[in-house]
Amino acid sequence: MRILRTIVFCIFLCSSFSGLSHPIDELIILDIEQGQLNVKDQQMTAEYKAALKRQRMRRLAAMNWQEKFVLFTKAGVEHIVPKGLDHILFVLGLFFSSLILGSLLWQVTAFTLAHTITLALAALGIVQIPGAIVEPVIALSIVWIAVENCVFKQTNKWRPFIVFCFGLLHGLGFAAVLNQYGLPKGNLVPSLLAFNIGVELGQLLVLVSAALLVWLIRNKSWYRQRVQIPASLMIALVGLFWFVERVL
Amino acid sequence: MKKLLFITTVVLLGACQTQTEQASVNPFYQEWDTPFGVPPFEQITDEHYMPAFKKGMEENLAEIDVIVNNPEAPTFANTLEELERTGELLTKVQRVFYNLTSSNTNPKLQELQRELSPLISAHYDKISLNEALFKRVETIWQDRENLDLSDEQLKLLADTRKSFVRSGALLNEEQKAQITEINSQISELTTAFGQNLLAETNGFELILEEDDLDGLSEGIVAAASDAAKQKMEEAITEQDQLKYEGKYVFTPHRSSMYPFLTQSNRRDLREKLYKAYIQRGDNDNETDNKETAAKIAKLRAERAQLMGYESHAHFVLEERMLKNPAEVYDLLMQLWKPAVARAKVEVADMQAVVDEEGGNFKIAGWDWWQYSEKVRKAKYDLDEAALKPYLSLDNVLNGVFETTNKLWGLTFTELFDINVYHPDVRVWEVKDKDGSHLGIFLGDYFTRSNKRGGAWMSSFKGQSNLDGRERPIVVNVCNFPAPVGDDPALLSFGNVTTLFHEFGHAMHGILTNVTYGSMSGTSGPRDFTEFPAQILEHWAGEPAILKSFATHYKTGEVIPDELIDKLLKASKFNQGFANTEYLAASLLDMDWHTLKADEELKDADAFEEASLSKIGLIDEIAPRYRSTYFSHIFAGGYSSGYYSYVHSAVLDSDGFAAFQETGDVFNPELAAKLRTHVYEKGSTEEAMELYKQFRGRQPKIDALLKVRGLDGSTD
Repeated sequence: MRILRTIVFCIFLCSSFSGLSHPIDELIILDIEQGQLNVKDQQMTAEYKAALKRQRMRRLAAMNWQEKFVLFTKAGVEHIVPKGLDHILFVLGLFFSSLILGSLLWQVTAFTLAHTITLALAALGIVQIPGAIVEPVIALSIVWIAVENCVFKQTNKWRPFIVFCFGLLHGLGFAAVLNQYGLPKGNLVPSLLAFNIGVELGQLLVLVSAALLVWLIRNKSWYRQRVQIPASLMIALVGLFWFVERVL
Repeated sequence: MKKLLFITTVVLLGACQTQTEQASVNPFYQEWDTPFGVPPFEQITDEHYMPAFKKGMEENLAEIDVIVNNPEAPTFANTLEELERTGELLTKVQRVFYNLTSSNTNPKLQELQRELSPLISAHYDKISLNEALFKRVETIWQDRENLDLSDEQLKLLADTRKSFVRSGALLNEEQKAQITEINSQISELTTAFGQNLLAETNGFELILEEDDLDGLSEGIVAAASDAAKQKMEEAITEQDQLKYEGKYVFTPHRSSMYPFLTQSNRRDLREKLYKAYIQRGDNDNETDNKETAAKIAKLRAERAQLMGYESHAHFVLEERMLKNPAEVYDLLMQLWKPAVARAKVEVADMQAVVDEEGGNFKIAGWDWWQYSEKVRKAKYDLDEAALKPYLSLDNVLNGVFETTNKLWGLTFTELFDINVYHPDVRVWEVKDKDGSHLGIFLGDYFTRSNKRGGAWMSSFKGQSNLDGRERPIVVNVCNFPAPVGDDPALLSFGNVTTLFHEFGHAMHGILTNVTYGSMSGTSGPRDFTEFPAQILEHWAGEPAILKSFATHYKTGEVIPDELIDKLLKASKFNQGFANTEYLAASLLDMDWHTLKADEELKDADAFEEASLSKIGLIDEIAPRYRSTYFSHIFAGGYSSGYYSYVHSAVLDSDGFAAFQETGDVFNPELAAKLRTHVYEKGSTEEAMELYKQFRGRQPKIDALLKVRGLDGSTD
């Protein structure tokens, strides 16, 4: 029956669609008045991305701080596992440097402290460095760490300091993805904190998984020759590839 | 081991296959178990439409066959109610498809639209010309006195029968064949009219050099330069490309022409573009529309005569609120005199500016935009940029929600977990005063490159109480500028009015509460359906309401009174022009369509000239549309219906005056009447009856004259 309403339009008033309050024939008129739509993929994609961010911001604004806390913790984890492959490799780079828990702990703490600082500074708009610089250097930092693993059998005393510096960089990288993701206007600090906690959890997840995998073979004589060095070399290669990719 | 591997692979492959098969089931064939039955947009791909359309049409015809072949005697239940239930799949796919081709299209959908258009009109032809179906309806109609039908059922019966009769069901075979022949000729001619006009509009371009740009703002120059680059890209030969290199292009599309006419200080170029615009379809070339228009009018008159009507206008108006041409002419002429009088004052105001500047010329049509802008600045001095910070989209939405809350107690809850067709689309659940669910409202507000211009309301699901309580899903689509950076979207006051207007349509679609879906929501006559939308605009301009929502997005400061004063005063600006050009076009439309079948076929120019000189149109103003580019009436569905806009305006001004007379724009008693008699009723009663039940009397035009400043009070 809905159709009969349409019939009236169809037969006498050209084709029309009853569901629209501005019927389809008016769209013919618009075609003439405004010109036909010229759809461009590139522009559509850019508009879509901007709209996606607006949608996320609206959703965020409607949440209470607990919900935001959970959401940002989750986002933090996701930005390590599975999305932050470069950060995973960096952490693995640290893991393959030493089997002495103390040394590893020092490095991870330095890394965490450093990226927390820059993440906060960048997210609050205090520091701004373009991604074109940060991203390639992050790739290089992976190469550096991995190469060092192959050269030195045990980590040197400068290592935590170097890791700290690299951590500052990675913090800027996190801030960039966080900015794309969108930080809420209300509850900014708790959300930032939650994101950071998420990142730590993600990091911990990587470390624990790696530790479990090599637990039984860590004391074998061939561990360094067959595991530590080849793994580090692989990491270095990937890092190098990313560096080239990001510079080009 | 190898065997095991083989088996595993087979099993895995099999699993994959069933998975892909499951994924490829056409979502239109399934029940939608989404929240509130919102279409599962994320599952629908472009490939699903065509098969669903074809299946939908087949099913629809099969359902009609079942009704027709029912051995039982025709009854209201086994014919009209069953008819209501037909076409479910087709409606489902149509709603999604036509909504998306307007608001979120892509080249594939555009192509589908071209393919589908003839298929669909052929499909509906098959139903409307189904004689056996008509016979059943007619049998029930003849017996209606004995059937104990409700008023709503009677109206459905009458409307359904009428639509068959108006397709020629009561004519003899010879007449029917004639009608079919005329219809197909008209259809060819209207298509040709549109194509000619498109070619004429796209065919003219004003290519300018750097030193022709005197007066144009940076934004306009940039747009014209972009247009030139676009033309260069499209050009095939190198010679054509060179033509546009480093140039600036303006076209007779309104979006390009109006800014040029407003800003350009080059009177000669303004004249050139303006004349190109008003000469479209009137250039004695192969895309000339004079003969096409005259032929269409003539054929329509012949068809009306065959059907037993005096003229095409009589035929169309039978279904409208104003029932015959005399009533339409009467309305238009009542407005005509004050409108032209006001326009003459506006010409004098502009001439004064010209003389003061030492211009030494008489104001002409192509000067109007530039000089009216100068008058506007001097007299009204409203700075749109100063206004915008008070009108963030969220504030305005709160304003319109609050307005309907105060009128009818509605509440709106934004929903975030519903999949929509684009991330800019927002979703609200609308609840009634008692907390019961009324419907779903989607708002798609920002402009984007794959959305049509303008603003409209439409629905994804209709309302009906036939088989249980089904509530609607409606959408408002607008083209407001998207926000920049982290600032909120800021609207102009024009945007605010548009938002309230479309929201009024949405309320018509959401508050509706009728048994039969085909009579729900905005299904009423064209000169009525704008009323529920337009009346809501009045609340947007009420100072008290403006103050309740218009707060500065940064400081929170309430909009100052001074700004509101200027805003309201500016709404009366240039009304002489706007009304005169519109009324001239409406009268022209009526003249074309009150032609008798045997009247001599004149050429469109001569006909138009006679028509306009009869009413005394002044030289400085052309009709809003001249005959050769009047696509509303010769390519679209507005024949003898262009007056509808002003008729709805009479209703909304008169209707809002009812609230003002009580001293309370939220008067509860009137608000309740407006809801029950207008917003809820759809087309279940005659529109004029509905209006009278709300207003207590027939509409009067006085309030409109006052609103538009045509009552002589504007200085």
